[in-house]
Amino acid sequence: MTEMLSVRQLNKIYGGKVPSRALTDINLSIGDGEFVGIMGPSGSGKTTLLNLVAAIDAPTTGEVLINGKNPHKLKKSELARFRRRELGFVFQDFNLLNTLTVEENIVLPLTLEGERVRTMEEKVTEIAKKLGIESILKKRTYEISGGQAQRTAIARAMIHSPKFLFADEPTGNLDSKSAKDVMEILTAINRSERTAMMLVTHDAVAASYCHRVIFIKDGQLFNEIHCGDSRQAFFQKIIDVLSLLGGNAHDLSTIRV
Amino acid sequence: MTFRQFAFNNVLRNKRTYAAYFLSSAFSVMVFFVYAIFAFHPDIAGGKFNPNIATGLHFAEGLIYVFSFFFVLYSMSAFLKTRKKEFGLMVMLGMTNTQLRLMVFLENVLIGFGATISGIGLGLILAKVMLLSAENLLDLEETLPFYLPGKALALTFAAFLVLFVVISMFTVVILRGHKLIDLIKGSAMPKKEPKSSLLLSIFSALLLGAGYAIALSVKGTMVVVAMIPVTMMVIVGTYFLFTQLSVYAINKSRNKRSFFWRKTNMLFLSDLAYRMKDNARTFFMVSILSTVAFAAIGSLVGFKTMSTNLLLKENLFALEYTSYSGPDAQAKRDVETIQNALQADNFDYRMLQSVMIEQKADNSDKSIFIVKASEFNEIAAAAGEQPVQLKDGESMLIYYMNELMGKNATNAYPVSLAGNGIELKPVGSQSSHAYPMYTDYYVVADELYGKLAQADMKTRAFYLFDVPNLKATKNVGKTLDEKFAKGDNRFMSVAYNLSIMNQAYGVVFFIGLFIGAVFFVASGSFLYFRLYADMPDDKRKFSAITKLGLTDRELSGILTKQLLILFFVPIAVAFVHGAVALTSMQNMFGYSLMKTSLTVLGTFVLIQLIYFLSIRVRYIKQVRA
Repeated sequence: MTEMLSVRQLNKIYGGKVPSRALTDINLSIGDGEFVGIMGPSGSGKTTLLNLVAAIDAPTTGEVLINGKNPHKLKKSELARFRRRELGFVFQDFNLLNTLTVEENIVLPLTLEGERVRTMEEKVTEIAKKLGIESILKKRTYEISGGQAQRTAIARAMIHSPKFLFADEPTGNLDSKSAKDVMEILTAINRSERTAMMLVTHDAVAASYCHRVIFIKDGQLFNEIHCGDSRQAFFQKIIDVLSLLGGNAHDLSTIRV
Repeated sequence: MTFRQFAFNNVLRNKRTYAAYFLSSAFSVMVFFVYAIFAFHPDIAGGKFNPNIATGLHFAEGLIYVFSFFFVLYSMSAFLKTRKKEFGLMVMLGMTNTQLRLMVFLENVLIGFGATISGIGLGLILAKVMLLSAENLLDLEETLPFYLPGKALALTFAAFLVLFVVISMFTVVILRGHKLIDLIKGSAMPKKEPKSSLLLSIFSALLLGAGYAIALSVKGTMVVVAMIPVTMMVIVGTYFLFTQLSVYAINKSRNKRSFFWRKTNMLFLSDLAYRMKDNARTFFMVSILSTVAFAAIGSLVGFKTMSTNLLLKENLFALEYTSYSGPDAQAKRDVETIQNALQADNFDYRMLQSVMIEQKADNSDKSIFIVKASEFNEIAAAAGEQPVQLKDGESMLIYYMNELMGKNATNAYPVSLAGNGIELKPVGSQSSHAYPMYTDYYVVADELYGKLAQADMKTRAFYLFDVPNLKATKNVGKTLDEKFAKGDNRFMSVAYNLSIMNQAYGVVFFIGLFIGAVFFVASGSFLYFRLYADMPDDKRKFSAITKLGLTDRELSGILTKQLLILFFVPIAVAFVHGAVALTSMQNMFGYSLMKTSLTVLGTFVLIQLIYFLSIRVRYIKQVRA
């Protein structure tokens, strides 16, 4: 398994009148085709980590390599191109453009790249079929449900077949049924396209779809657990670590033991 | 902390949020005030200039007031919209609706008062600067001096006091009926897709096309008849052009994927449809007002050029003196005065003179004027005109013609003179500006003139002074003009008359330019304020797209194109309308207004371009931040 993402000695300190340390010496690596979850309590630095890795924010020290390239060393316009060619993003609040139809939203990364219309049409049809959103392609974003919106966002993130997909709380705004659909779609894509994925979430159910979950607490790596054969058992393990993180872990485990 | 202190501190400690609203209010006050300074100027109101100017200025002032009202109202509602969350929080903490309205009312009164004071202060400075620059740039002597504008001050203060109070009342309407949940969520609901009707779009295109066709095809006096219906057609057409046709065209382009899906077109055009629909009424108003300004200024400049040319073409001698009582003692004295004045200033001059006989026609009361061929030829040669070749007993009819009148030559007609029974049968006719005469007269052979002339005849004497350096005679002309103004005889100095005309046009021109410039800047600011109100949405949207991968160049490209359209679409429309209107007027006068009016339009475009460039830089920077 080749290394898709490698993070070395990453530190982030937010300046200002009272500097605060958001991340301390983070090291991690994600392999090709791997689906990794990042979990941790509020304020632990999950989103900061995602922002640094996706080059939305710059680290104070340390290095990030995606597919062997350091996005922070790229020029701004190169970075933009790198993003729309090799990275995909899914956000909690979908970030679809209200002025465009579902279909137009999906092809946006390709139009920016100057792709041929024929190719774009083929790709839209293909991905819409895969995600089950063919019937809403002509609709406007305010005419569709949250689950449909998130599937549209996934379609937009995947239409250019990126090597790496970042998902920031993709199930945060969805009901449990839609959340399940979205996670299953992500898993299916991960399996069929071998896209490496990094999922930041609060939701233990969503995290249980990952191959591996990394826990962060107060800006430092806390723990890492792997999915075994059973998703159910993995879910239980995640819950255990979470309660440990919450501070009352010992009480819980003594009760259970 | 009392409630009043709370409202007060809310404004003072939150300057940034209030700055945009405050500045746009102060700006409208300033524009209104500067206008009022001109409209109430004692020189204008006192009848030194055409009274129509004052009326026009007061009318423009009314328009500005209406414009300001909507401008301030819009600024305020945009300002309240951005603060919805804050209001929601206050209601949640237990503020009653009455208290909320009182707070907004107090804030508005505070901002309104501050804006009125600072607007008037800025207006005073601006007016002074403008009057100074007008003096220097337009070379005006009898300029409008600066004065203490008491009336303008009172009017501005009262008008805006009323405006802000009325608008504060509107806040009640704007805030009414909002549920707490809507306030807290802010304006999250996305706007509906802009709709347009095919029928109205076609209607608009037809109206504009027909209006243009009529305006360009009618000639002469028909222009006046066609003016009102054509204006109505174009106004209605323009309205639907912005509200329907433009949106329809953009929506149609969506279906053309090879175009709509190319590069950044999709992002740029989908937004544009909303912006067009949102700003349609502003666009409409701005383009109609600009058209009026264009056409008015264009024709004004045209008139000025025309009358200057006419004056120079018709008066070929620097100084002209006409004695209506023939070469009598008074005339001789005056001519001597003129000669002395010219000599005193060391002018190189040549005096030409001629005596014209005035006789009655045989069968009517019509006066017939007759000059000697040798005298006429000498003067015509000095004027650079064609001399006449007459044999004994022959005569020639000379008529007056200028470009404003028709181009038809007057045919020679015979006339028999009363008393001596001689009949003049002109061998031909020609036009001439050699004599300061605006009616027909006859040139007769010297031999015939000798027969006609009798001692007791009524005559006119012409004394024409040919000075090579014509323009330099302005001061001599002025002194002499003042000296002869009370006499019965006609004196005219070309250079002095020219300078009087320049002065009069200069003032009107300056006011016209100012009105036009203010409309442009005001409309630009209006658009900018709307942009500013939409900026949080733009920022959120572009930060999302940037994460997907949008280069800085593409981002500024999209924003530049949008701003370009917002700023220049109304001007472009006004440009076309104005060009058609001026061409039509040209057909009426038969005089080309094109060159001069293009200069004027170009100046306006330049002003708007500078404004656009400065706003573009700021806006892109702010969206990126």
